[in-house]
Amino acid sequence: MSLLTLAEVTKRYEGVQALNRVSLQIEKGTIKGLIGPNGSGKSTLFHLISGMERPDSGRIFFREKEITSLDPHKIALMGLGRTFQTIQPLGNMTAVDNILTGMDRRLRGGLLSCGFWLPRIKRSEREALKEAKGILEFVGLLGRWEWPASQLSFGEQKMLDLGRAIALRPELLLLDEPAAGLPPAEVDALSKRILKLREDGMTIFLVEHRMEMVMEIADEIAAFHHGEVIAEGSPDEVRRNDRVIETYTKGKKTHA
Amino acid sequence: MGGGSITTVSKNEFRKRDLFYVVPMWLLSLVLPNPVPHRKREFQKRDLIYLAILVVLPLLWRDFHFHHLMVLAGMNAISALGLSLFLGYTGQISLGHAAFFGAGAYTTALLTTQQGFPSLLAFIISAAVSASFAYVIGKPILKLKGYFLALATLGFGEIFLVIVRETPGLTGGVVGISGIPWFTFAGIVFDTYLKQYYLIWGVLIGLLIFSKNIVRSRMGRAFLAVSASEDAASTVGIPVAQTKLKAFVMSAAFAGFGGSLFASVMATASPESFSLNLSILIVMMVILGGMGNLYGPIAGAIFLTWLTDVLAGFQEYSLPLYGMIFILLLIFFPEGIGTRLGFRIVYLISYWAKKRRREKGKIE
Repeated sequence: MSLLTLAEVTKRYEGVQALNRVSLQIEKGTIKGLIGPNGSGKSTLFHLISGMERPDSGRIFFREKEITSLDPHKIALMGLGRTFQTIQPLGNMTAVDNILTGMDRRLRGGLLSCGFWLPRIKRSEREALKEAKGILEFVGLLGRWEWPASQLSFGEQKMLDLGRAIALRPELLLLDEPAAGLPPAEVDALSKRILKLREDGMTIFLVEHRMEMVMEIADEIAAFHHGEVIAEGSPDEVRRNDRVIETYTKGKKTHA
Repeated sequence: MGGGSITTVSKNEFRKRDLFYVVPMWLLSLVLPNPVPHRKREFQKRDLIYLAILVVLPLLWRDFHFHHLMVLAGMNAISALGLSLFLGYTGQISLGHAAFFGAGAYTTALLTTQQGFPSLLAFIISAAVSASFAYVIGKPILKLKGYFLALATLGFGEIFLVIVRETPGLTGGVVGISGIPWFTFAGIVFDTYLKQYYLIWGVLIGLLIFSKNIVRSRMGRAFLAVSASEDAASTVGIPVAQTKLKAFVMSAAFAGFGGSLFASVMATASPESFSLNLSILIVMMVILGGMGNLYGPIAGAIFLTWLTDVLAGFQEYSLPLYGMIFILLLIFFPEGIGTRLGFRIVYLISYWAKKRRREKGKIE
């Protein structure tokens, strides 16, 4: 069975059909891209997978267990990390604490053992700090490690969100438009980071508007339109698909 | 919180009158809490200075009134410290903390007068009772947010008072319980203000160290994450509801400690001491003192206890004066007494540094 399986997932918002019987599979160790015009239901799909919202019908399986309608933190604890389209830096903390918060799943200690600062808590905090700095280095923010997250630039906050999701050491990482609003040089760096993560064995599900980036790094692409999958396959197949071309050219005409 | 104030400071140009603030501000900055919220969460050298001042001050200033005020301030500070973990760090509001304070006081009162429990045991059980009380209440109502949570907590504070007044057989009704024995530990009877001062501030320092450890560990980060973004917290595996409940139960346990000490020191426990006034006073201590760190609520508790005492001398004018001072403080120190001053000082120093470099010709 695949790492993530969606079976006939449907979601409606007050009459608007956000997702219509979507079935998708993601294989372990691959990068799957999800493309589609604005409002085609990509972010809704992410919300359903990560448990922020519940599907009207259909089932979702992760690591061969059903996660449909499970609480978001339980899904996260199973090893599913995600970032948000609108960045969510924890602005009341420093950059390094943001990363440490992401590592929470792997740290132990309740109220009392933390409050009494037991030797094992002290040790695990020290080790966690070291690892957090490594993650900050990976996302290029080591020089800012003691900065309050609220004072970082937009691009830096975006990378911080990525770092926090990576800190979870997820098996599957959902990236919701990680390159939106980044200058081209940073997009290249981001692509390299995503490829490096896959090399390390992480599976990545990526929603992105920048076609060239998705086409370059994804192993497989699914195209979305009006809450339905209209094409699925390798980047080249999707690029040549008639319905995809039609959807995108039609979109451009209405804009012009 | 922190972000907002930084932008206001950087927008403001330097004004000549800032020079007049410099010396008093520098002096205050030595005493007041660290101005940068949530950043330095480790112990620092200045903590030792605070500790030394606390130990030596009552011995140098041998004034009973001062000792008494500090005893009151210490008890309030214990509750305020607990609430700051819930209000300042977890970002939730509670207007019912007087009920937990009261529950602690009544538990101690009942156990020591009727059951003859030793003080220390009663002290610990009081906190446990307040904490379990908070667990039962918190489980359903912490699903509420913002104003609704404020109203719900306000409600249970009132319910607590009604229950206390209507069960005279147990709690002594409106009259309350009196004749609670002094706190006794290892043969020492804490019967003078000076002894009580050391007892209460000793407990406070213990709880402060405990909170500091919480705040610099994964628990504290979970609290802060829940306050910043519940979505982000849950997507890294932090259980939002459970984290709020933990913070609530812990802050109630602190209030229970405070209440227990109140009963042993005042020797009485009666309903009017645990009314809404106390709940709001505790919240004001946290807000006026500054929610960004653990010293803020303690500074707020000392300041407000002292202010209440000073204003009592003005009799009927005391309430309007109280209100005016609150409004002025909230206008000029929206992030707490410590915070704004700190930013101004940082700004001034950077201004002078730039000016000196400009004079040397390094900046065109």
